[in-house]
Amino acid sequence: MRKRLSVLIPGLILIAVGTAVFAQFQSGSYGSTQTNSIEQTVPPQLAQDGNFSVAPFPSFVPELAEGEGRAETQDFCTTCHSTRYITMQPPLPAPTWDAEVNKMIKTFGASIPEATAKEIISYLQEHYTPENRKH
Amino acid sequence: MEQWQRKVSRRDALRLLSAAGGLAMVKWSQARASVAEQLPVNQQIEPFTGPGPNPHWNSVGPYVNEPQKAPLILLTDRPVQLETPRSYFRSVLTPNDAFYVRWHLPDIPHRVDLAEWRLKVEGNVDKPQTLSFSDLTEKFKPVSVTAVNQCSGNSRSRFQPRVAGGQWGNGAMGNAVWTGVRLRELLDAAGVKQGSVQVQFQGLETGQGPKGSGSNVFLKSLELSDSALDEAVVAYLMNGEPLPMLNGFPLRLVVPGYFATYWMKCLTWIRVLGTPDENFWMKTGYRVPDTPRGNTTPEEMKAGGVRTVAISRMPVRSFLISPDGSSKIPAGISVTLQGIAFSGYGKIVKVEASEDGAKTWREARLGQDHGAYSFRTWEVVWTPKIAASYTVAVRATDEKGHVQPDEPVWNPGGYLWNRIEKQEIVVGKVSGGASR
Repeated sequence: MRKRLSVLIPGLILIAVGTAVFAQFQSGSYGSTQTNSIEQTVPPQLAQDGNFSVAPFPSFVPELAEGEGRAETQDFCTTCHSTRYITMQPPLPAPTWDAEVNKMIKTFGASIPEATAKEIISYLQEHYTPENRKH
Repeated sequence: MEQWQRKVSRRDALRLLSAAGGLAMVKWSQARASVAEQLPVNQQIEPFTGPGPNPHWNSVGPYVNEPQKAPLILLTDRPVQLETPRSYFRSVLTPNDAFYVRWHLPDIPHRVDLAEWRLKVEGNVDKPQTLSFSDLTEKFKPVSVTAVNQCSGNSRSRFQPRVAGGQWGNGAMGNAVWTGVRLRELLDAAGVKQGSVQVQFQGLETGQGPKGSGSNVFLKSLELSDSALDEAVVAYLMNGEPLPMLNGFPLRLVVPGYFATYWMKCLTWIRVLGTPDENFWMKTGYRVPDTPRGNTTPEEMKAGGVRTVAISRMPVRSFLISPDGSSKIPAGISVTLQGIAFSGYGKIVKVEASEDGAKTWREARLGQDHGAYSFRTWEVVWTPKIAASYTVAVRATDEKGHVQPDEPVWNPGGYLWNRIEKQEIVVGKVSGGASR
């Protein structure tokens, strides 16, 4: 009996302590997937003349929704601005996209043929409204 | 017999032990699974927000590296628009490399030759001036002002219904010490002619659009009689350093109290006008309804007849910067709620914090006074006794008596947002008791 307890008690204590310690904290979890990082850049070489310059401003080209009118949208809108101007927006109602494209043409003087403008508007209305925007 | 008994009992003990061990293992793995499920998931933020309001403090773009900049939040890459992450507002001055960036047109300088570059003061003046960078630093008395630069569309992503435009969170603002020459001194040197009405500012920001359209050149003007001109500075230093290219190197107009649209970057022409400026960026862009808080509705806009005025001073605002809600706080400890406040109408005189969602308020202690148009830091100690989710709110009052309201604002440009900010803070249990 004494022998029995001498095995049982330390064993149970070990388990109890192990469980109790485990309940207090947890460690050693690492993600298994690759996540995005931003690379560092090296300081530029500087000459002692009057030119103060910086590297070209980088492009971050977003993935536009696949569909009819995507090529036209990419070609014409990027004359003045990157397509981030589209993907940054919240989902906008169809009439707002119509107004936006028309503002680019009438107010800002974008040179877009009428038929192409219609294609661009329907592309935006097809993929970037509250009803249909996915990404 | 005794031997057998002992043998059996030993075997029994082992069995019992292994059974107990097995049970414990099951419990252990259950505990492990349930704790593992409680680990926060480092989930990537959604790529866009809406049609509801953006629920985050900042906008949701990725962090990007741009020249002379710390990783900032990308809104757009061409023209460049970058937002300052929340944590940079822990300090009263916003570091240059973290300062937000907003351009309207794609053709902006990434090289300026200071040996050739000249500031022109021209138009309706007696003695047009052509000033080199060293003329500005040597021939005029340097003055410094600490002032907040905030984009007119800061917090646009809060609007309901959402409006098109830069979908800023709260980080399209920054505070810096600006050093340069008083604008009035330059105007006096040029001799403004009688009957002049406005002064126009032009920088090195241009686009491909046809001449006369807003996409050709960015221009802004202020009334010559505007008292804001008395405080305006043409700055060649930002926090004691040359301006980053993306913030307007080599010279930027600083109009303390006014929205950043007037703070012309890469300022190269100061032009005195005999007639009011009718260019797109004055007549059509950056206009707000001539109503209290610039508030209107989509229905009123559709019906027409909403009179607008050029945007000017920034309404009073305040922000909780820390804690930011990303971590739990143990019940019973004292945490310091801290943040910033400012107003374009003058000094901040009071900041109040609430821990019950803007029902009851406590006055915060204000930090050092850096001038009427600077961020004013504030802090208040809070000891949450009970584990719960709390809604912390903050509101500021300026010297003109403006108090932040708890009502939203709406206008088609997405301007002038200054509703009371709120932040969920989760307080966690620290003992087995029911409340703590």
